[in-house]
Amino acid sequence: MLYRRIFQFFIIYFLFIGGLMLLKYSLGLSDYVIPAPSGMFHILTAEYHRYSLATLNTMTVAVIGQILSVIMAFIIGILGRQSTWFGSFIKVAAFNIQAYPIVALAPILFILLGDGFLTRLLIAAMICYFPVLLSVLGIMSKPVDDIEHFYRVTGRMRWQLEVKIRTFENLTQLTTVIAGSATLAMAGTIVGEFIAANAGIGYSIRIALYQSDMGKILIALFLIGITIAIYQAFLELLGAAVKRAWTGK
Amino acid sequence: MPLICDNIAFTYSGAERPLFTDVSFQLTTPGFHSFFGPSGVGKTSLAKIITGDIAGYSGRVSTAGLKTLLYSHNKERLPGWSGVDRHLTRVISPPMHAQKDELVEIFGLSDCITSRFDQLSMGQQNRVNLIRYLLQDCDLLIMDESLANVDELTRERIILAVKDMFPDRYFLYISHNVIEVSKFCDSILVFCNNGRIPQTVMIQGCNIRRGEDLSPTALDAAMLEIMNAV
Repeated sequence: MLYRRIFQFFIIYFLFIGGLMLLKYSLGLSDYVIPAPSGMFHILTAEYHRYSLATLNTMTVAVIGQILSVIMAFIIGILGRQSTWFGSFIKVAAFNIQAYPIVALAPILFILLGDGFLTRLLIAAMICYFPVLLSVLGIMSKPVDDIEHFYRVTGRMRWQLEVKIRTFENLTQLTTVIAGSATLAMAGTIVGEFIAANAGIGYSIRIALYQSDMGKILIALFLIGITIAIYQAFLELLGAAVKRAWTGK
Repeated sequence: MPLICDNIAFTYSGAERPLFTDVSFQLTTPGFHSFFGPSGVGKTSLAKIITGDIAGYSGRVSTAGLKTLLYSHNKERLPGWSGVDRHLTRVISPPMHAQKDELVEIFGLSDCITSRFDQLSMGQQNRVNLIRYLLQDCDLLIMDESLANVDELTRERIILAVKDMFPDRYFLYISHNVIEVSKFCDSILVFCNNGRIPQTVMIQGCNIRRGEDLSPTALDAAMLEIMNAV
């Protein structure tokens, strides 16, 4: 799983670089617009250490943000699963709020909370929270009748058991959604850093943009991509391990 | 009278015609009773009306003599996160654990009782599901094709054992097997097809128990009566 993810990333990244080189040499663009492969290698060796630390910084924020958003999504999803007034209210609120782009709210957070760790964390959590919430709400609101019937008619159904049954029956879907939300968390953090933060790879990209340094941006993209690929593979492996332990398959 | 259904009529919302009308019957003695008839005539719907799972019908259902009514069917599953025996132990009260072990033996499940539910065959799954319902505190258990996919000999062994072990309980057995219902059931409510009036007919089955001899003439008569009614 890990090697497949990394391999897939390399294919996509180098196809993208190949496309850029094709553009550069076919249109005769200067190294200032698109650096030559040797120039990119030079930037890589020069900036590798600093950019790696910045990427790890961003990744840490994204991981914490994702954990927070998954916990929040489960709490709200479990509370909103019932067909009561409160459950319906939560569902309607979730659908309506997620329609508003979180990125548009980011400047407000930076004004209120400054450009530090907390703002980046909040933006990351908010961006990956709603897709996870919608999936969890959908899963938790849908009864698994052929299993739940017995517990209902015999008066044994408790909310914990209901949640356990629905989680177990939709484990693959939940694992996929959580692994997929890692990309959103990373994207959210980078967007936050890009807007106003003072650390992280998004901040480094912003500086590179001000310098019009395409080489630095491409190296940053490489490090972001490889980090997300490894993290997603880790989440998929974790999901597979949980599934194997729980289902015995 | 423990169970009285009087002039029950039911139409599914959006349906042009009622599923059934004027269905009346009474169950006065515990034991094995049956709903029999072709698919789609309303056996399951009537069972769910009796247990209160379906509302919006007309007529009267009186279950005054029965405290707890349970409906079980053959599509039910047990959660897959642990073995079947562990699930059964959790949902059956401790004083009934000895009975559980006895039923597991009689139902022919001893070899697979530690397996997970999805590792069992369909017949084994139905038998496991039936065991957990049998060992609940209830007065009427509706078994909607609960022994589907189980071979005939095992089905016979199971029905006779259930009749022996739970003599004071009411069972409503929904089945498509005319020999089985004629042989083991007491009252058989036959649902007629093709809009015949009346839509249901109550027929007396042979209701044999363990150790009793079955009269072939009585069985033939019951089967003939059922087939004529359908």
